[in-house]
Amino acid sequence: MNSGNWFLIKSLCDLSFRQCRGWRIPPRRLYANATSFPDYFKNPIFRKEQQGKLIESGELSKLAAVPVKPPATYETCSVYHDPLVNKVINHVMEMGKKQLARSLVEKSFENIKRTQIERYHLAPTPEEKNKIELNPKIILHKAVENCKPLLQLSPIKRGGITYQVPGPITEKRSLFLAIKWLLDATNDKDRTVHFPEQFAWELLDAANNTGKVVKRKQDLHRQCEANRAYAHYRWQ
Amino acid sequence: MVFVFCFTVKHSILATRCSVRGKVLSNIFQYRTGSSRVTNNVTDNLTDWETLSKKKKISKAMKAYLERAKEHDEFMKKQHFEFNVGKRHLANMMGEDPETFTQKDIDRAIEYLFPSGIYDPAARPLMRSPEEVYPARKAAEFDEAGRPHHFLFYTGKASFFKVLYDAAENIQELQKFEDKVIRKKASPDPNNSLKLEGSVWFTKEQLEKTLVETIEDIEYTNFKNVMERLVSLPYSYRCKDFIEQFRKPLTTQRFALEIPKPNYDEDGRAFITTYECLRKKARGDVTIKSPGTGNISINGKDITYFEDIQSREQVIFPLIFTGMQDRVDVVCNIEGGGPSGQAGAIRWGIAWSLRSFVEKDMLEKMQVAGLLTRDHRRRERKKPGQPGARKKPTWKKR
Repeated sequence: MNSGNWFLIKSLCDLSFRQCRGWRIPPRRLYANATSFPDYFKNPIFRKEQQGKLIESGELSKLAAVPVKPPATYETCSVYHDPLVNKVINHVMEMGKKQLARSLVEKSFENIKRTQIERYHLAPTPEEKNKIELNPKIILHKAVENCKPLLQLSPIKRGGITYQVPGPITEKRSLFLAIKWLLDATNDKDRTVHFPEQFAWELLDAANNTGKVVKRKQDLHRQCEANRAYAHYRWQ
Repeated sequence: MVFVFCFTVKHSILATRCSVRGKVLSNIFQYRTGSSRVTNNVTDNLTDWETLSKKKKISKAMKAYLERAKEHDEFMKKQHFEFNVGKRHLANMMGEDPETFTQKDIDRAIEYLFPSGIYDPAARPLMRSPEEVYPARKAAEFDEAGRPHHFLFYTGKASFFKVLYDAAENIQELQKFEDKVIRKKASPDPNNSLKLEGSVWFTKEQLEKTLVETIEDIEYTNFKNVMERLVSLPYSYRCKDFIEQFRKPLTTQRFALEIPKPNYDEDGRAFITTYECLRKKARGDVTIKSPGTGNISINGKDITYFEDIQSREQVIFPLIFTGMQDRVDVVCNIEGGGPSGQAGAIRWGIAWSLRSFVEKDMLEKMQVAGLLTRDHRRRERKKPGQPGARKKPTWKKR
């Protein structure tokens, strides 16, 4: 650009820079770093079982030649790490208070565990005892699975009238709705009941395929069924 | 006639910046072939048309080109002269020898004399040689009669379309070859397959720079599609040279290089210290001692230095990943930032230090897990006129 820059430099010449032999630039942070990784960075694969698959197929050494993003702060290779639990924590979180959200979810897991152990000990026969699921994470997975809707209603305007048109739902949205409904049902509680207790009950109900949330899902399915006559508006 | 050309041959750079963008004009003097060589060709095989044009001697296009070339040559000469004078002044100012003053020294001097906090690198003061500052230009690629040498001259972007043309030709050849192999009932050799994981396609800017032509976004997409198609063929390794012309290697496997040998303390324990463990605003150093019993000390405390579980999980992530949680001791000093940044810095420091204590295949696993990647992201600044870095005020029609 400026080979004419030296005019400016020349004017500075009088400031007797000539004397400073050991001149060095003061260390400083001049410019902001990037706020994201370039798109050729691959997502990290850090779970043991996923890496095992890579080793079997012999792709690991290939992938090792490629730049990889570091895992996020909430991800670990620990056996206790569960992406769905993390998702639920994030939905519970308000105003970025993650520690609180995490403690609430963990507290409700504790409540689930206590309830289930009580049931376990109350159960008279070994067969019935075997039926009772004691792992709260498995209960959460079951509950979310039971709450996932298979269809959705989308409003479509035809001839001045808005029809509720049933259609398929994406996997991601159905997961979102399931978690949202669970939390809606939980927050619809008395002020005297605390979140972890109510959330534990809702999860246990949903895992058992009963309760408010499963009913809400079935209501939606029923309405989709009733509106099936409008289904053609999706493409017409 | 030859003497007219001999001075144009030495230009690879030509014309002032402003006239570059005009498409039609720029094509006229965008060619590289040595003009003097072409002169011979023309006199060798003369057609009727060329005999006619020979009487005309020199076309207007060529004349214009020569004028521009001369102008540009003088301009560059002047720029060179100014640059060298400026460099000498700078060297004298900094009290260094002007003869051995390199570009690196110039950059340092400019940074010293003109400290700039300007955000955009393009707006910071700089002093470079004119070749770098003024974009490279092609020399004329038409003869004195004004006839282009390149068969794709009239596409306007001869080099770019030549690349596409070559790629398409390669695709056809490879398909023919594949048919031949299938007729022989053979199958492709898996050892010969093309390995492209370590590189990416040229970006649009890089491609423009190599071709010395400006290309549109859609043309760049076309280029990528064609090349991807070429690469997807089973025998694409036969066009390896052609493909690799347009690929840029990614950063090499830094983790595998220069793994430091551990030092030994007075107890005879091996230890490695990683300084400058950075993440967000946190910075610190991490020492790994082996053999150990899994003690972790962060600023003199144990892992309860972090009150939240998530940060503790982050600290032990590389240890449990490598299975070294009971075999090494960790000592860290960390300052600045919050718990998440500090935990991230320690995580990277532990992973980086553990390289000296694990096997090679574990190194690969750690790389794929992303533990060896430094997280250099920083908080994005807030922009004026909007509430956050990206967040915009709610849109109101009026």
